[in-house]
Amino acid sequence: MEDQIVRITSRLVAPFIQVYGIYVILHGHLSPGGGFSGGAIFGASLVLVALSFNLEVGAKQISHDTASVLESGGALGFVITGLVGVAVGANFLANRSAGFPLGEVGELFSAGAIFIITAFLGVKVASTIVTLFYNIIEGEEKSGNAH
Amino acid sequence: MEDILFIIIAAIFAMRYLLRLQARGVFTILLVGLIGFFFSFTVAEMPPFGDPNNPVFNEIPARYMGEGIADTGAVNIVSSVIIDYRAFDTLGEATVLFVAIAAVIATLKSH
Repeated sequence: MEDQIVRITSRLVAPFIQVYGIYVILHGHLSPGGGFSGGAIFGASLVLVALSFNLEVGAKQISHDTASVLESGGALGFVITGLVGVAVGANFLANRSAGFPLGEVGELFSAGAIFIITAFLGVKVASTIVTLFYNIIEGEEKSGNAH
Repeated sequence: MEDILFIIIAAIFAMRYLLRLQARGVFTILLVGLIGFFFSFTVAEMPPFGDPNNPVFNEIPARYMGEGIADTGAVNIVSSVIIDYRAFDTLGEATVLFVAIAAVIATLKSH
């Protein structure tokens, strides 16, 4: 796609979408949202840039290896955060009983394991969307339907 | 009971000989009617919407509403349910995402 208006608009809008996605992820325990929706917003901004420019510019933002490391790292972080509870002697995925500091209610850094798990989930969902997009697009290009 | 059976048999004969449907069509209409009957029966037996005496309003939502902030420290009760009380379910959701991406890569990536 070689449209000047689409390019300039998406280049202007993308940072704001990304900041909003990070905001939704980090405030998952305070306001509506969380890892899934915030990660989807963040991933959508990366897809938007790749769609309005081309795949090379999009791939510069986040490479395949980084995306797959983030993808697996998000899931691993989730499980490890849960296993901390087992190591301490509480249940799997325990929060208060595993000794995570709950902090002051309503603050940004509060709610212990919820904050950590939401951040990992956001990373995982964002990289999942990006990886899915690139794999589907490249599968199409390799089969001879280059645009 | 006999009335209902009589109506069904009369409907079968009417469909078969008055409307001249094939046996397959009659069977299909009967099957769809049976499924619809059970669906509407289930819906009629459901508790009314928003009634405070509904069986879902037991001690579990009361615990989430009352003790959620003290238990988890999260103001967002939805978040405290899905990531603290029901975190294992959310881990399953993340696994679904993981399996989906693994399936896409295994199918589409040419080696």
